[in-house]
Order: sequence, then C-alpha cells, then structure tokens
Amino acid sequence: MTWRRWLQVILLLTPGLGLIVALIGTVVYIAIVQSFGLYNLTGESLLSAEHWAGVLERRAYGRAVRYSLYIGILSALFSVALAYPLALWLRKPFTGSVAVGAILKAPLLVHGLVAAFLFINVIAYHGVLNQFMQWIGLWEGPRRLQNDSNAIGVLILQTWKNMPFALLILTGAVQGISDDVLDAARDLGAGSMARFRKVIAPLTISAMQAALVIIFIGAVADFSFQVIAGPTNRQSMAQLMVFYKDGGRWHDAAVVGVSLMVVALVGSALLAFAARFILSGRRFR
Amino acid sequence: MTRELINRFLIYLLIAVCTLWLIIPFTMAVLWSLVDPAEPWTADKLMPPVVSFYRWHNMWVNSSLKEALLNSYTLAPSAAILTLLLAIPTSFALGRISFPGREVAKVIALLPLVVPPFVTAIFFTSLLFSLGLHAWRFGAILFAHSVLFLPYAIRIMTVSFEQVRQDHIDAARDLSASTIARWRVAYLPALKPGILASLLIVFIQSIEEFAIAFIVGSPNFVTIPTLLFGSLGQDFVRPNAAVLSLILVVPNVILMLFLEKLLRSANPSMSSGKGMA
Repeated sequence: MTWRRWLQVILLLTPGLGLIVALIGTVVYIAIVQSFGLYNLTGESLLSAEHWAGVLERRAYGRAVRYSLYIGILSALFSVALAYPLALWLRKPFTGSVAVGAILKAPLLVHGLVAAFLFINVIAYHGVLNQFMQWIGLWEGPRRLQNDSNAIGVLILQTWKNMPFALLILTGAVQGISDDVLDAARDLGAGSMARFRKVIAPLTISAMQAALVIIFIGAVADFSFQVIAGPTNRQSMAQLMVFYKDGGRWHDAAVVGVSLMVVALVGSALLAFAARFILSGRRFR
Repeated sequence: MTRELINRFLIYLLIAVCTLWLIIPFTMAVLWSLVDPAEPWTADKLMPPVVSFYRWHNMWVNSSLKEALLNSYTLAPSAAILTLLLAIPTSFALGRISFPGREVAKVIALLPLVVPPFVTAIFFTSLLFSLGLHAWRFGAILFAHSVLFLPYAIRIMTVSFEQVRQDHIDAARDLSASTIARWRVAYLPALKPGILASLLIVFIQSIEEFAIAFIVGSPNFVTIPTLLFGSLGQDFVRPNAAVLSLILVVPNVILMLFLEKLLRSANPSMSSGKGMA
C-alpha cells in the first residue's frame, strides 16, 4: 500500500475507530492512574499504592468481588444451560417453532429496569406468587422474597434477561450443524447424549464460549438488578464503585473499577477456557 | 408421530412457562398502572376495585416525566444521527478497502462493548470534571452515547458496504457518473437498509441506556430509565413505576419488531432492485 492509501485509511478510521480508542483508552487510563493516586480531582496528585492497600484490606471489597463473581458465573451458566436444550429443540423447524422462538426471545426486548420492576411486582409480599402459594396451601402466610440473601432474585432476573441472548447465539450455531454429520454419528451407534457430547458440543463450542463470556461480563458488572432486587447486606462491585464515587472517593472507586475490569477479563477467559476444557473431552486444541 | 407428540407437549409446557414468564408480569404492570388512588388494590382483591387513568395523568402533570421524555427522545435521535455520521467513514474503510490489520481494527471497534458500562460512566465523568465540562450534561451524554454505540453502527454499515456490488460502481463509472451520482445510484440503494437499521438500533440503545445517563446526568438531567430507577428506589410507588415501565417498554418493543423486519429485508439485491450475479 502506498503512503497516500495509508493516509486515506487513517483519515477514514479516525472519526469512528479513532474516537472509540480515544474515549475507551482515556477512560481505562484515568481509572488506572486514579487508582494509584494520580489525576486527583480535589487535591494534589501523589503516586502511591495506598488506595489499593486501603481498599484491598476492606471486607466490603472482598465480599463485593466474591458476590460479583457468584452472580456473573451462575448467571452465565444458568442462561447457557437453559438455552442449549431449547436451541437443540428449535434446530429443525416444526409447526409453531417460529412462534416458540419469538416468545422465548421476547425478554430481549424488555429493558432490564422494567424486568426488575415486573419481577418485584410478582414476588412482592402481597404479590401474586405469595398469594398463589398460600392459595394452594404450600405456605401458611406471605413470605418476604425481595432482596433475598442468596441473591436468587438477581439470578432469576439475570437468567430471564440473558437466556434469550444465549439462545440467539446457540440456535445459529446448532442450526449450522449438517444433518449428515448427526446421521453419521447415529449410524455409528451414538445415542442422544453421545451425539451431544461428541458432535454437537465440540461443533458449537465457540458460540457457547461467546455466550458465556458476553453474559458473564454483563452480569459481573451488574448494578441495577442488584440495587433493586439484590441482598441489602452485600454490594456488587459496580455498586461499591458508585458508592465510593458518590462519597467523593474517586481513587477508591478507581481501585474497584480497575479490579472490575480485571475480574471481567480474567473471569471471562477462565470461563471460556473451562468450557472448552470440559466440552472438548478434556483435550486441548 | 412421537416427535410430533413431544413437540406438542413441549409447546404447551412452554406456553405455561411463558404465561408465568411474560403474560402475568405484564398484566400485573398494566393493572397496577390503572389502580385508582380512591380505592387501593389490596391483597384480598383479585382485581383493582376501581380503575382509571389517574396515575397516567398524575405522572404526566406532577412528575419529571415530560422532561424525561423530552430528554430521551431528543437524545436518542441525535445520538443515532451522530453515530451514523461517525461510523460511515470507518465502515467504508473496513468494508471496501483491503489493508493490513483490517480484522484487528474490526475487533478494536468492539471495545466499548467489553468495558463494563459503569466503569466507562464513572471515569468518563472524571474526565468531564477535569476538563470542566461536567455541567454540559446533554452534550456529554450525547457524545458518550454516540461513541459507545459506534460498534453497532460500524458493524452494520461495514456489512452494508461489503455488499455494495463492484459491477454497479463500475457501470456507473463507465457511464461517466460523477462521484455523487455514483454514491446515489450504486452505494445508496445497497446501504439504505443498513442506514435505517443503524439509526434504529442506536436509537433504541440510547433510549434504554442507563449507566451514563445516571452517572453523568444525575441529579438534574433525567431520562426515562433514570426516572424509572428513581421510582424503584426509596420513592417506590408501585402504580407510578408501572406507568413508567410501560412508557419505556411499549415503544421499544414496537421499534425492535420493526428493526427485526428491517434486518431480515436487508438484502442488497432487493434494495437495489437487481438480482445477484
């Protein structure tokens, strides 16, 4: 390529790609340097690891990391585990399959905050779920279900919102497997489980990894579901970061922010690696 | 026959699950939005005793709903247009010019989707503070939305540019069409579905975006999601939250369905009125 052609490409990339790199690069840079005491908004900047040491020894930080990982990993696993059988079921078209697919993907159209409102409406103290359980005689009185300490509400919300996304990705991958391959496996005596383990899973592993990673990153950084439906005695990492920022503790917020990015990056890599390790029959490729 | 039976059973099961999953929650939201304050909807009553549009009217008159609607519906089309304008040159380069590192550039364009939104929001605010631009909320959110949603527009427009047929461009050039005329007759028909899809997807994303609007905009600048979030917190009034939820979700569902239809019809051969070679 000539230098003129290069110049043309750079000029064309600048307004789009250039802005993305500039904004995201600046944001990540500010988070990192602020976590080390620089870029002070209210006083003198001083390079130190004091903020890291301070935040890392707080129990709230450790709890937030563990809690965010718990939500991120379980949300990704539940969403994918529910989506896989549904994707396999919808692999071949049948009467009503388009309608079924549309219904299953409907939560994609619903905003997360609306989903949270709908959910707390259903599980409210005098909500429809409590009334139903009392009506069938399983519960004697209403129970407090919102903000449960195991964050089951948050996990249900995350799965509700993310399962359709996993389904969207996995349906495409599963439909890409040709009938010939599956017929050959069947002719060689492979049962349903063996066909899944030895044919379908290895051929759809990339799609599954993509679904796991994208859902994990979203769920590990969750703020709104946690604030509305999550346990009140624990904070997610995003919530802790906002809490520090609202108190004007920008450097502490930066420590949590950088940690969140690292957790998202390392966690998604490990999740993708573990999925390949398990589904490819413990063989590395 | 057995497979048909299994499918039928699974469909009935799915309908039952979806009733729990979708129909009951949305019906509850609609009913709550219609509860008249004169007679509260208590646990012993299956349906609201008195229904009216009082809550809708009350929210319209006495809350920040008008302001939030104005902000959201000014921000979203502005972000959609700005994002598209920023995405077109990059998409042209990625879709029509072969250069070393093109695939890497396509991956880098996805960066805003990988960084957690609250991290971007908080440290973007930090940047605004240091530049002294934190009071310029509308502009700041518009800029952030435009950059954050660039990956969607770049991705869609890159595919659209890739689908522009070279023989159409060559034919226009052979007929001595000017640069503008070539764009009009060869590029635009193939790009039209992509342009509409990009505008629509960024519009929807911007209407729904919460983290940036919440962190950068608070406390003075409200959008529909930030108003809804506020109404779900300490000022939780169920019927008011139901009104806001429906205001947020209904237009978006319609737009999303339109978008899906648009993306399905995004076939350059159809849009250019010519068959594929």
